Amino acid sequence: MIKRLISLVVIATVFTMGWGQNSYIPYKTYDGEHKNEISGYVMGGNNVVTDAFGGLEVSYMRHLTPRWHVGGDAQMQFGKELFSIDVQGGYRLPVKYGNISFDAKVMYNFYHKFGFHEMSYNLSATWESAYVDFRLGETLVHYHSHVWGMGWGYTETPLLTFGFGANIRHRNNPWNLGLFFRNYDDFYYENWNINWGIRWYAKVKQRWNLFGEFNIRPAGSLSQLASKYEGSVKLGLKYKW
Amino acid sequence: MKAKYIFIAALAAVAMLNSSCEKVSPQGVLMGNTAVEDRVEMSYKYYRENNMEQKFDYDLQDFTEDGYSFLVGADSHVTTDLGRMNEMFQIGLDNDDLFFCHLGDIADTKPEYYINLQNCIFEAKAKYVEKYYYFDEDTREYYRKDAKYPLPKEYQDIQFPFFPVVGNHDLTHNGWALWSNIFGSSFYEFDIYVGDDDNGESVYDHFIFLDTASGTLGKLQVDLIEQGVLDGKNYLNYRHTFIFSHTNIFLPQNMQFASTFPREEAYFLLKQFDEWNASIVFCGHVHKWDEQIFNAVYFLTLDSMSERNSPNPGDYLVRVKIDKEGAVELEKVHMNYVAKK
Repeated sequence: MIKRLISLVVIATVFTMGWGQNSYIPYKTYDGEHKNEISGYVMGGNNVVTDAFGGLEVSYMRHLTPRWHVGGDAQMQFGKELFSIDVQGGYRLPVKYGNISFDAKVMYNFYHKFGFHEMSYNLSATWESAYVDFRLGETLVHYHSHVWGMGWGYTETPLLTFGFGANIRHRNNPWNLGLFFRNYDDFYYENWNINWGIRWYAKVKQRWNLFGEFNIRPAGSLSQLASKYEGSVKLGLKYKW
Repeated sequence: MKAKYIFIAALAAVAMLNSSCEKVSPQGVLMGNTAVEDRVEMSYKYYRENNMEQKFDYDLQDFTEDGYSFLVGADSHVTTDLGRMNEMFQIGLDNDDLFFCHLGDIADTKPEYYINLQNCIFEAKAKYVEKYYYFDEDTREYYRKDAKYPLPKEYQDIQFPFFPVVGNHDLTHNGWALWSNIFGSSFYEFDIYVGDDDNGESVYDHFIFLDTASGTLGKLQVDLIEQGVLDGKNYLNYRHTFIFSHTNIFLPQNMQFASTFPREEAYFLLKQFDEWNASIVFCGHVHKWDEQIFNAVYFLTLDSMSERNSPNPGDYLVRVKIDKEGAVELEKVHMNYVAKK
């Protein structure tokens, strides 16, 4: 299964490498022309608890000014029976080497299979330079059970949120490939379980980007017995206007 | 210049990956060296072939109807100093606790430490046999002194009632071979007859031991749980269910460098504990005392009883006392042993 996923990512990457035409605009940087961005991806993978799963995601971002942005995301995952929605906003501060983006995010997850509602509140700062990006933040997660109807809930101690990514090419290139390590993904925050994988993007046309990820999500990272927990791929398209 | 930095980074990475520190296995942060699936497969085979459901010595069933107690410890990280392990066994023997449970990370991974541990258990068993059994010269067999209907046993057939779960530090540096050589299966369950209810039906307490050392149950163990392998006997009437797990659901402090379960698995387990009608879930791993109640299940995380992690005397053990009516009382148990300098 893993070998098959790696093959798919490599094929998709090679296929899209030749499409790039123009410089890539980093995710949260306003290009001075297009204020709106919409993107979506399909994903699939395998999880120890839920077996095979797949899903659809959609995102929207609006650049209110060259510095301020707001947006929202939603996803539906089959297999896991997971429904998610979030809203977020932030401020981008240009610095000598790249940008630092300060973001806030509020997210709701409904794990229907297990009957759990989850709310997450995240504050983070992301430094994004030509080759590397680094994120630090804090996340507060509260969950409660749905089916038992007894009002049992638990608020976790604030989780340290961290991520690191590195690209093989300068961000201005029309295609790129990189590695990432982080303890979160688009719709969950973990404590010390460290995801890692490969990410890529490629410009298709002036307003269109293809992007994707191959994500290994182990369990027990800091137990030093990182074990297979979840593997997934994402393949998406982004449009701006 | 760039190549030089890449070369230095590569050298540092190789050095980290080859670190031979006894307690640390850096490569395990991204890729573990002991697969939970293999471990569970081996354990399940052992579980079936060795009739692990009858792991609990039936001689002990004579002493449960009027209430009983058991002693729980965690994270002993045995190396060369066996002071705290010896003390745990002695406390249990002195107080007539029916059995002992251990929440994992029993020894750091090194063959000599496991030899020390095994010798410690052998010695505790010898004291246990001396206290509770007599040797009949005629039949050349042992009999439980206070049992209603004592069964003749040879020494090796007397079960020393010590029930551990496996922890992550038991397994780093391929420690599974050492652990399984002593304890066999990393997951199992048993039940104890505790009397009859008002309708004359037998009532039991149920004990479930999970392999959570890797921070995940793994696919096979999830499947086995869903198939009901650890559910006990469906015709039995369970009063209490006690669950033992190395990895905890709730993290007492944010900055503790310990992985807990990923999201879906934590929710899966919380739901499963509800289906098992669990009374108490015992956990170790984070070396910090913590108590939580979720969905009427009591979650108790124990501090480390290791003399290196907890060098001062303190309350590192828990005694669980269950009276005739089924009321459960938890008692912190003090340990006095201090490592020699």
